[in-house]
Amino acid sequence: MHELSLVQSLLEMVDELSLERGFQRVNVLRLSFGRLACVDPLSLQFAFDVESPGTRAEGSKLVFDILPGALYCFSCEGEQKMTSHELRCPVCSGTQVILTGGTEELKLMEMEVD
Amino acid sequence: MSTKVTVVKNVLDANDRLAADNRKLFAEKKIFVVNLMSSPGAGKTTLLERTIQELRGTWKIGVIEGDIQDTYDADRIAALDIPVVQINTGGACHIDSNMVREALPGLNIDNMDLLFVENVGNLVCPAEFDIGEQMKIMILSTPEGADKPAKYPLMFQSSTALIINKTDLLPYVNFDLEKAKRDALILNPKLLIFEVSCKTGAGLEVWTRWLNEQIRVFSGR
Repeated sequence: MHELSLVQSLLEMVDELSLERGFQRVNVLRLSFGRLACVDPLSLQFAFDVESPGTRAEGSKLVFDILPGALYCFSCEGEQKMTSHELRCPVCSGTQVILTGGTEELKLMEMEVD
Repeated sequence: MSTKVTVVKNVLDANDRLAADNRKLFAEKKIFVVNLMSSPGAGKTTLLERTIQELRGTWKIGVIEGDIQDTYDADRIAALDIPVVQINTGGACHIDSNMVREALPGLNIDNMDLLFVENVGNLVCPAEFDIGEQMKIMILSTPEGADKPAKYPLMFQSSTALIINKTDLLPYVNFDLEKAKRDALILNPKLLIFEVSCKTGAGLEVWTRWLNEQIRVFSGR
């Protein structure tokens, strides 16, 4: 549900950037976030479709780079890909692990503008 | 002809900046801020009422209540003669740092040691928004089921302590206490867990003693 707030913040950010960098409209917004960050791409797209009309980002395409969840397992002595939120090694089920990726917050990485 | 512009900026940058301002202000005023989160009906307001009764002799307390609409919760706190401000989020599923900022003029923060922010009842979104709090505390009540940590991981990961409430209902509800605790600790090995019943008062003393100690260390008093 918080995707609506994320989109509102994103549109405000685009507005500020348009003044800073002098562009009129946005054609592509490239966004990135971690797989475990509780951001849903479909909800994000939906919120964008509702909120963007009348702004500089109206009609812009959203491109998502979704970063994989990863942890380092001290038993396996290696990095493993995560498939859930569990802090447990998917290979050996060990719990001596640290999270190394996947919780990255939503970021605006790049835009294509006119 | 379209031009590429590199940005690399957190979308919640504005919220995070405001949260940092809030945190700085709370540090200057020595106000310990607790962001209290749970599902609707888990017992946030009742826990607040009980906790306030225990700690009001030691600390000056204020409360910010967040709800989509109405003032039921704020009325309950005001009945205890505790300063309270109600935020109506008007549909938003969480409290953000700007809402907290705007609520502060309604409280006398020059004369306050402890501020509770009761977030909107929701196990998902509030965990995403930093409001400048000292710590996030969450409540899980036994009728909700022991599968909640596994289903709503972020909130368990971002909380300092988990309060399992309504333990008086354990004989009547199908709640696997050990499973809930085990799953929560897999998500967050540092999570502190308190088992309480706000109805009977069981376990409340352990919780309030711990919270009191956290505030004492923070305020240096």
